[in-house]
Amino acid sequence: MSATIAPVVPEVASVPQQRDEQYVGHQHRGYAFGVRHLQVVGLTSLTREILHVELADPAGSPLAPYEPGSHLVVRAGEGRRNAYSLTGDGFNPRRYEISVLRLDSGQGGSAWLHDNLAVGDLLEVEGPRSMFPAAHEQRHALLVAGGIGVTPVLSHVRALARAGAGATVLYSYRPGHEAHLQDLRELAGDRIRLVEATTVEETGAALHALLAEQPFGTHAYACGPVAMLDAYEEAALAAGWPAGRVHLERFVAPELDPGSPFTATVASTGREIEVPSGVSLLDALVGAGVPVSYLCRQGVCGECRIPVRSAEALEHRDFVLTAEEREAASHVMACVSRGRDIHLDL
Amino acid sequence: MTITREPTTDHRSITPRGTPAVEEFLSQPVDHMARLPWPFAEGHEAFRYSVNVDQARVPRRTLAGEWGRHVCDLGGAEYPTIMAERRAVLDADPSRVKVLPGMELACWDLLLYYLRDLALSYPDVLHLDEGVGGDPDAFHWRNDLLGTDQAFVLGNGSTLPCGPLEFLAREVPDDLLLVRERDGRLHFDAGAVTFAAAWSVSFDVGMDMYEIHGPVPRMNGSGMTARAEQFLRRVPADQVFRRVNWNVAASPTRKYDIALESLPAWGRDMAEAVQRGDAIENCQFRIELEHFIRLPMTGAVTFNIRTFMASLAEVREYPTYAAQLATILEELPEDLGTYKGFIDLIPDMVAFLRG
Repeated sequence: MSATIAPVVPEVASVPQQRDEQYVGHQHRGYAFGVRHLQVVGLTSLTREILHVELADPAGSPLAPYEPGSHLVVRAGEGRRNAYSLTGDGFNPRRYEISVLRLDSGQGGSAWLHDNLAVGDLLEVEGPRSMFPAAHEQRHALLVAGGIGVTPVLSHVRALARAGAGATVLYSYRPGHEAHLQDLRELAGDRIRLVEATTVEETGAALHALLAEQPFGTHAYACGPVAMLDAYEEAALAAGWPAGRVHLERFVAPELDPGSPFTATVASTGREIEVPSGVSLLDALVGAGVPVSYLCRQGVCGECRIPVRSAEALEHRDFVLTAEEREAASHVMACVSRGRDIHLDL
Repeated sequence: MTITREPTTDHRSITPRGTPAVEEFLSQPVDHMARLPWPFAEGHEAFRYSVNVDQARVPRRTLAGEWGRHVCDLGGAEYPTIMAERRAVLDADPSRVKVLPGMELACWDLLLYYLRDLALSYPDVLHLDEGVGGDPDAFHWRNDLLGTDQAFVLGNGSTLPCGPLEFLAREVPDDLLLVRERDGRLHFDAGAVTFAAAWSVSFDVGMDMYEIHGPVPRMNGSGMTARAEQFLRRVPADQVFRRVNWNVAASPTRKYDIALESLPAWGRDMAEAVQRGDAIENCQFRIELEHFIRLPMTGAVTFNIRTFMASLAEVREYPTYAAQLATILEELPEDLGTYKGFIDLIPDMVAFLRG
């Protein structure tokens, strides 16, 4: 529904990032965003499957502040880079904190972190990156968390509490898997109301009730499993919410159909690259030795954005570009976008 | 959280500390061409608006000197003079500072970024202590050039003598503007602007980019505003960009404040100078150096504007530049010359620059 959709991509492959190492944008060490090492200064098991990790600059420098809802990219073993939501308020932090759900179905990054991290270790990180920010003009916030989706929601609640702003928080969890529940309960008070739901039915009912009773000027935010996000979007639509005030963050993008084969042309060399059905433009380019930096491979992070000179029948299929950008047909996300005769400005 | 602290100095007075570094800084020669970001590339003979952005902090040589080494150019020996004008405007007209609801944290974000950056750019004369007394949010700012000595707690408004945006505006010559996304578009939602070139912060605050640029010929229609907005939306967290804009000022004096609010104070300057016969040589080639920084705590992007000026008489000291400016003024299409406000002066300016 809204343009602010972002990745907490559980497991992603690693590629060398193209960075201009000569150029330093900021002078102060507290504005480091590039690839660097932070030290593990705390490890806590929140539940059997969720490990809370605290990171600090090894030299004690302040860390870059961040917007609530930001994520940190973490190197999780050989060849893995995962993105995890930061759980703090982002205000002049000395520590970055993430909560890692062990996913044995994934490609092993979260399991690697669970099995290998020890206090004192140096961990390679990049970011923070803001992909799920709050609307600064909001009068009130409705925040919906499902399961491990509580992590960016906690970040937002902490920032709102610091600002003395109002929020209504719905946390849907399975008993025994309630990471950060105590944190949310402690934040609840006069301005922040916490509603808990422990079944699908309770969650659905709470979504309908809460979306129907928010004051004008409220922005809504949700992070959680796909089924909960679908229910949230439907309930928001039914309650008459404008799309621009309904924000969500996806863990995983929906399945995409394989699409038709097409040809992509690299403008600088004139080289034509065939992209078969079921193969992404990104894979075809990388396979042909054309360097493209990428991260999520699901059309959510925006890393593989490529400028386009011309194209026929573009299907963007990403969650990054705005409606205006789609209309301008000036860029594609190589990992998901397709079309015919795409001339890439590479 | 209500810690009240008395300001350790009166923030309105300018009293440079007498250190050797301050004396050296303030004894630099005053040369308006030496710091001026010459806006035209070598060989350029025509001007059109473009999204002419460039990486910041890269020093550029010109025929007269150098610009762009730091994000903030204090202005050499003229710094106290510029800041006295800035503070006098703020004292007389508090409406030059506008902060819309929800932008308070972005103002702290900006203050922290600039004070940290200033202390590293000018370590001999500007100082920022962090983590005072073990509190990570406790800071101590000292500006030896202006005599400012201020302890404050980040995010706690009662620890500064004024809002964080105004506090910074009283320390740096730049006009401070913050843009942020709202309802799908970037809006100018906070600013401390004393040196606007014939516009008004009170009038423009809260507008989106399209509304602000509505009066500029060839901007919205050509897709330039859309491209500029896309650029600002995508300013990455780890890089800083800049852009140079130019004009011939509506007042042929070195007044920085030619905002619409103070029109009664400068509106007759040109007519009077024309009558006296000394308008053209005193016309000010006015350069705006804009810096775009994504502030990480809030995602707000700066559109800060540092104004530089040199008179046409000063430009004429550099024949290559004088010839280039004459060619560009002569070629300028009528709508751009009208918008910039000096269309009627072009023939005399060209003749003077070639004289």
